[in-house]
Amino acid sequence: MDEERNNWKAWLYLSPVLLLMALFTFYPILNTVVVSFLKDYDSTKGTSSGFSFFNYGYVLGIAANNDVGITNHDFFSWNSPSAFSNTMFITFVTVPISVLLALLIALAIHSIRPLKKFFQTVFFMPYVTNVIAIGMVFGVLFGNHGVVNALFHLDTPWLDPSSSTWGSCMFVLCLYIIWTALPYKILIFLSGLQGIDQQYYDAARVDGASKMKTNLKITVPLLSPQILYITVTSFITAFKEYSSVVGLIGRSYSSDPNTHDLYTIVYYIMDAMNGNMGASNKVAQFASAAAVILLLVVLIFTLLELQISKKRVVY
Amino acid sequence: MEIKLVGLTKTFPGNPKKHIPETTAVDHLDFTVKDGELLGLLGPSGCGKSTTLYMLSGLKEPTSGQIFFGDREVTFLPPEKRGIGLVFQNYALYPHMTVYKNIEFPLTSLKVEENEKDFAFLKESALQRVLLQAKEVHILLAKAKKDGKSPLDCAEDLANAFSISLSLAKEIVPLFEEDLEDFLCKASSLLEESKKKQAEEKEALRQKGIELSEEGELLREGKTRSIRRNLSKDEIDALIREAAKLVQITEFLERKPSELSGGQQQRVAIARALVKKPKVLLLDEPLSNLDARLRIQTREEIRRIQQETGITTVFVTHDQEEAMSICDEILVMNQGKMVQLAAPQEIYRNPNSLFAAKFLGNPPINVFHGRIQDGAVYLGEEKILACKEKLPDQEVYVAIRPEGFLMGKEAKPKDKVLTLQCTQVLTQGRDLCLYCSHPSMEGDRLKLVVDSDLDATPGPISFALRRNKVFLFGKEDQKRILF
Repeated sequence: MDEERNNWKAWLYLSPVLLLMALFTFYPILNTVVVSFLKDYDSTKGTSSGFSFFNYGYVLGIAANNDVGITNHDFFSWNSPSAFSNTMFITFVTVPISVLLALLIALAIHSIRPLKKFFQTVFFMPYVTNVIAIGMVFGVLFGNHGVVNALFHLDTPWLDPSSSTWGSCMFVLCLYIIWTALPYKILIFLSGLQGIDQQYYDAARVDGASKMKTNLKITVPLLSPQILYITVTSFITAFKEYSSVVGLIGRSYSSDPNTHDLYTIVYYIMDAMNGNMGASNKVAQFASAAAVILLLVVLIFTLLELQISKKRVVY
Repeated sequence: MEIKLVGLTKTFPGNPKKHIPETTAVDHLDFTVKDGELLGLLGPSGCGKSTTLYMLSGLKEPTSGQIFFGDREVTFLPPEKRGIGLVFQNYALYPHMTVYKNIEFPLTSLKVEENEKDFAFLKESALQRVLLQAKEVHILLAKAKKDGKSPLDCAEDLANAFSISLSLAKEIVPLFEEDLEDFLCKASSLLEESKKKQAEEKEALRQKGIELSEEGELLREGKTRSIRRNLSKDEIDALIREAAKLVQITEFLERKPSELSGGQQQRVAIARALVKKPKVLLLDEPLSNLDARLRIQTREEIRRIQQETGITTVFVTHDQEEAMSICDEILVMNQGKMVQLAAPQEIYRNPNSLFAAKFLGNPPINVFHGRIQDGAVYLGEEKILACKEKLPDQEVYVAIRPEGFLMGKEAKPKDKVLTLQCTQVLTQGRDLCLYCSHPSMEGDRLKLVVDSDLDATPGPISFALRRNKVFLFGKEDQKRILF
C-alpha cells in the first residue's frame, strides 16, 4: 500500500533525468530508426518520399546505385575492405588480444610486491592521455625513419600515404587500439584480483597446485564476472571504433580522397551525417540505417556473450 | 604421526617510523602431539594459536625454532610437501567447483610414489570383491530401481556403497536381474570369468618374465619397482567417494558449495583435507561458523572421523567447552606462550596457573583476593582452610570452582567457613545457580552451582568448601601454590 501511495513521489524524483533522457536519448534513438526507413530523406527540410527499405539495401550494397553521390560499397563489400569488414577485423583481433594481455599483466602486477604501485601507474598512463596525442606519437614511432623501423632494422613504410598498405596500417591501428584499451581492463582485473579471498590461494597451496594451475583453475574462474564484464564492454567499444582511426591515419591508407578502405562503421556514419562522402546532400538516412545495423550487431554479440557466460561464469 | 615443536617462535616485525612495536605472536613453544591424538590449541583471540597452526601447515614460516613430523624436520618445507590436510575457518571451498571437484582438486596435483601395479588385474579384484557380496548388491540395486533412479544414479549408489570407482559400478549396473536367483547365478559365472581373466593376465605377464603378486604388484625378477606417477581417474574417483562416505556427503557430490548448509560445507572441507590421506589434520576454528546445535553435532562428527582414521589432529579453538569435549589433550595458550598442556580433565582439576583456571570451566571459576597467614588461608577475616604444606605468609589469589561450595544439609555447621551475600537464585533444573558477592572477590559477582534440592534464598549464606575445588595462585607470578 505504502509503495503505491508513494509512487508519484518516485516518478517526481526521477522526472528531471527522465525528461533529459527522453529528449536526448530516447527520442534520437527512435528518430534514427524512423529516418533509416525514409527514402530520399532531406534532413534540412525534413521531407522524404515515403517509407522504404531502400536505405538498408543501399548501405548493404544490394540496392542499385542511383545518384546519391557516394559509392555504395563503402559500408559493406564482399571483395574489398569496407566499414563493416574493417570493424569486424578490428574487433576480433583487438578484443581477445587485449583482454588476454590485460589479464596476464594484471596477474603479473598482482603477484609482485615491490614496485607494484609504480607498474600500476605505468600501465594506467594511456588511459589519461589524449587519444589524438597518442595517435600522433604512434605516427612518429611508425614513421619511415621512426623508432620502430630503426629498432628492428626495417624499412617498412607503415603509415606513409604513398606506399603503405592496408595491412601495415591495420597492424599499427590494432596495436594502437590494444595499447589504449589495456589500462582500463587491467584496472578492473586488478580490483577483481584484490577481491579474491587469500584463503583460496592458501588452500590451493596446501593442495599442492602449481602456480599455473592455481591461476587457471582458481583465479580465472573466480575472476569470471570481471572477465565477462570486460569482454562485453570491449566488444561494444570495439564495434564503435572511430577516433583511433581518425587520430592515427584517416579514411584511407592511400592519399586518394575517394577511397575509404580504412572506414569503420562509426566512421561511415559520421561521414554520412557530415556529408564528407562527396555527396551533394548530407545523407542522414544512410547514417541512420548504418547506425541501426550497428545496434543490431552489438545486440547480437552481447546476447551471444551473455548466453556463453551462463555456462562459464560462476556466482 | 607424532608432531614435535621445538622452541617455535614467530615474530612480526614492527615499524619504528610509525611507532608500531615488534610483536611476538608465538614465543618459544615446545610441545609434542602423540601419534593419533587430537590436540586442542585453546586460548583467547590473539594468543597465537592460529599462527601456530599455520606454521604447522607451512603457510607461515617461523622466525626460529623447529617443527618435526615424526623424525622428519619440516620447519621450512612448503605445505604441499608436508602431507597435511588443512581445514580453514571459513572452509575456503572453491565456489565455482562442485563438491566433487573440490574434493578432487588436491588429488589432481598429487604425485604418488608406489610400486608398479597392474590396474587391469586390480579392477578384476575389485569386481570380484563386489560380486562376492552379490546379495547386498541385489538389495541395493533393487531398491534403487524401485525408487525410479536412472542407471547413472544407480551406479553412483553402488560406487558409494562399495567404495569402488564409478566406471566399474557402471559396468555392474546393467547386470541386474529382477530375480535374485538369476542374479546370483550371473554373478557367480562372472566371478569365475573374472578369475579366469586374472589368471590369463598373470600368465601373459609370466611369459614376459614378470610375476604378479596377490596385491596386483608387478615383480620383476622377484622385486617390486617403485614409480612416481599421477593417480588414474578411477583411483581418484574411488578416493573421492571414500572421503565423501567418511564425512557422509555422498548425496551432495554434484552440488556447488553455495547450495549447502554450513555444516555440510564443513564436512566437504574436511573431506577435501582428508582425501589425500594426510598424516596430520589441522583445523582452524572449525566450528566457529556454525550455530549452537550444529556445533555440538559437528564436533562429535570431527571426533568420530578423527578416531575412525586415527589421524593426528591439531585443532584451534577459543571455546573451552569445545576443546574439553573432544580433545585428548588441550594446550592452553596465552600471549604466544604455552600455559599448560594436559588432558582436559586434568587441566580442570589441576590448573597450573590462574589463567588456565579461569579459561576452563563454565560457569567460570570464582576468584578472591586472599592471604596465607599462620598456615591457613584467609578470605577477609574468615579462615577458610588450613594449609597442609608449610607456606610463608603472603597475599594470594584464591580460586574456587562453582561446584566447590557446600551449603544447607550438605555440610556440617562447623565446616561452614565462608559467608557470601546471595543476590539472586536461578533455577536450572538439575542445578541451582546462585549469584553471590563477597568483599574480597574479583569481578562483579560470583557464580555458584549447588544441588537443586537445596533451599536457597537471597541473603547471607554460609558455605563449606570442597578442598579439591579450591586453588591458590601467587599474587606476582599467578602460578599455582599447593597448600
